[in-house]
Amino acid sequence: MELLHVKIPSWGDLQWWLPEAVLCCTFLLALLGDMLARGRRPVVAFAISVAGLLAAGALAIADTHAVAPAGGRAIMGDLMVVDGMAIFFRLLFVFGGLATVLFAWTSEEIMGHRRENKGEFFALTVLMTVAMMVMAEARNVLMLYLAMEGVGLTSYVMAGYMRTSLRSTEASLKYVIFGAVSSAIMLYGLSLLYGMTGSLQFSGIRAVLLGGGAEPFGILVAVVLILAGMSYKIAAVPFHFWCPDVYEGAPTPVAALFSVGPKAAGFALMIRFFYTTFAVGTNAAASNSLIQVINWPLLVSVISAVTMTFGNLVALRQTNVKRMLAYSSIAHVGYLLMGFVLLSEMGLAAILFYLLVYTLMNLGAFFFVVAVNNHLKSEQLEDYKGLGYRMPWAGVMMVVFLGSLTGVPPFAGFVGKLYLFTAVMDRQWFWLVIIAGLNSVISLYYYFRVARVMWLVRPDEGHDSPLRLSWLQYTVLACLAVPTLVLGLYFGAFKDLADAGIRTMAGG
Amino acid sequence: MNVGLPHFLTVSAVLFALGLFAVMSRRNTVAILMGVELMLNAANLNFVAFSRYVQRGIDGQLMAAFVIVLAAAEAAVALAIVLALYRNYGTVHADTAQSLKR
Amino acid sequence: MIRDLVFVLLALLTVVPAFWVVFSRNIVHAGFALLFTLVGVAGFYGFLGADFLAVTQLMVYVGGVLVLVLFTVMMTHVPAVGRRRHGLDRLVPPAVFAAAVFGVLYKVITVVKWNVGEASTSPTTAEIGTQLMTNYVFPFEYVSIVLLAAMVGAAILIRERSHAGSDDAIAEEKQEARP
Repeated sequence: MELLHVKIPSWGDLQWWLPEAVLCCTFLLALLGDMLARGRRPVVAFAISVAGLLAAGALAIADTHAVAPAGGRAIMGDLMVVDGMAIFFRLLFVFGGLATVLFAWTSEEIMGHRRENKGEFFALTVLMTVAMMVMAEARNVLMLYLAMEGVGLTSYVMAGYMRTSLRSTEASLKYVIFGAVSSAIMLYGLSLLYGMTGSLQFSGIRAVLLGGGAEPFGILVAVVLILAGMSYKIAAVPFHFWCPDVYEGAPTPVAALFSVGPKAAGFALMIRFFYTTFAVGTNAAASNSLIQVINWPLLVSVISAVTMTFGNLVALRQTNVKRMLAYSSIAHVGYLLMGFVLLSEMGLAAILFYLLVYTLMNLGAFFFVVAVNNHLKSEQLEDYKGLGYRMPWAGVMMVVFLGSLTGVPPFAGFVGKLYLFTAVMDRQWFWLVIIAGLNSVISLYYYFRVARVMWLVRPDEGHDSPLRLSWLQYTVLACLAVPTLVLGLYFGAFKDLADAGIRTMAGG
Repeated sequence: MNVGLPHFLTVSAVLFALGLFAVMSRRNTVAILMGVELMLNAANLNFVAFSRYVQRGIDGQLMAAFVIVLAAAEAAVALAIVLALYRNYGTVHADTAQSLKR
Repeated sequence: MIRDLVFVLLALLTVVPAFWVVFSRNIVHAGFALLFTLVGVAGFYGFLGADFLAVTQLMVYVGGVLVLVLFTVMMTHVPAVGRRRHGLDRLVPPAVFAAAVFGVLYKVITVVKWNVGEASTSPTTAEIGTQLMTNYVFPFEYVSIVLLAAMVGAAILIRERSHAGSDDAIAEEKQEARP
């Protein structure tokens, strides 16, 4: 038996993967701790999860200086890479996971006295964070699939967490069916790509494509199938059906995580996959650049325009705040796809920056809904009447989140959108910019309708008692609201981080 | 006829199309999941055939092995959800579970 | 000649029951038809010299997934009262779409110049074992954790309720669901 090209991943590789390794251990420890506490003391799993996420965050920050300047570092037998982009998303996911765990602790939907399996919930959130990080690091088709399934499997369970609730179970059923179908479609596309190039490695696929050995029609079909599977993950039209129902049915903290985590991970995956296999190293003259083989800019810009318009128009009609936020998250995917149209470094860096801003403001808006739901047991807009007077601090922060989601200055959402718009304008795609601008105006209406109901309408008689939030809720909301404000004025450092992320990926 | 790569690919394309049809036409969730299994098997057959004929390595076979494992996990979770829905609502039909629809 | 014959038999074993899976109105029959399709695919794996995969397919898919599916079918038996006959409007658009997809895929199969070499047919079990412990040791470990999560998740979703009161929650939800 001959052993060719064996590259055993060494233990040394693990030092570049420490944050994820720590989180894997956290997952196991949280399960074990919950088991020892016989599921009666969720605080054990909660504390372990928080400690693990904090440690992983610290390690990820330490890595920022160690790895980023040197470019990408291939680890685990070249199946994954830790480069600037991977580090950027690591920080994003650890932050999102931590915020979700902390806020879930205060949520009645998760911690209410009738609920069970509270400890497992935190453990699964941690594992989902790991899987999302792997999505951002994969540079091999196998790891790509494994990471997506890892995120999928944990999120199906989390969507159905309130298992005695019909809505939650249905949400999870919808999620699992659409998820299974779309991942099967994507897998078929990947198999065709493997057949045409004979490689599972992104770099190997690129080498064959550069050599001009692939038939454009075959590539087109494979790319469309793969794009279909990934569009599901980010909920772009026409693969968005599941999104509002799942967000509405799932527990709100889970919906908050779904609306940012898997979406950001999906974008990370798309950026690495499409950019490193189809775009890098192929200039306009090369015959097999993706942009040449199929009309990529037109395809993506149409998806982008349709997605944002659909999301915004349907969001207009919603009376349930959670459902409105679900449609608005679809609209934001449309904006984000603008950066993807030209597969240029500028556009991709704009996506990264916007994802950061989007994570902050969208988590914030969803968490506000959680806080309100704890007291009012309702997500209906009519019940938000005068909320600003009943919970003034949280109300002000909600206005910050809504303003940022709309994209008005001086909030961070404005800066993020500006970068996305410029990326497209750079190559004269004015019609897309005009559509995106019109969409922002539409979104102004429904975001500010919420703000108006909260602040300009007086609460009903008998329903005007002040609502108290816990210090933990205030802390988390503030940790989201303050950066949303600050990033609108001082964004240089984070923009640099996003730029460096894309640059090191392109170089590696 | 001299069996070669295209023959395997054709069988796999038939399985994929049938799976897609089942997914779109069925109401029973379990039947939809059966369609998904057909699609996954189609992709796996592709991977194995390509690994034999095109790459002449075993990457494709390893990929297929991992897919089989994850498909089993996915089926377990999906069927658990179906059972949970059945307990709560007494139906396994995707579109009779109406509480989310407006 | 023998190879051709074996291939045709395997193809029939795979594809004919697959049609049954898709068109049968009886879900139990569909499940049993799926059994033949899965065995047929395992046969293809063996035919392609992927002996390890053939056995894995039989053990995991036929022995695991299919049994799971059949159990679910039996545990969730829905009385035939509400079952309507499939209307044509429900069948035709998906059929047209699926046929179109098959057409496109078939065109890909014929148009692309596959870089085909002589297929090797040596057994691969040993090589797969070596790879799993060397190059692919990371995905191997990663999958083990994901499987653990899936197992925990499935258990969470269908574990027997430990305390009373939850049923009230369902009653509440059902009230909400039917305004």
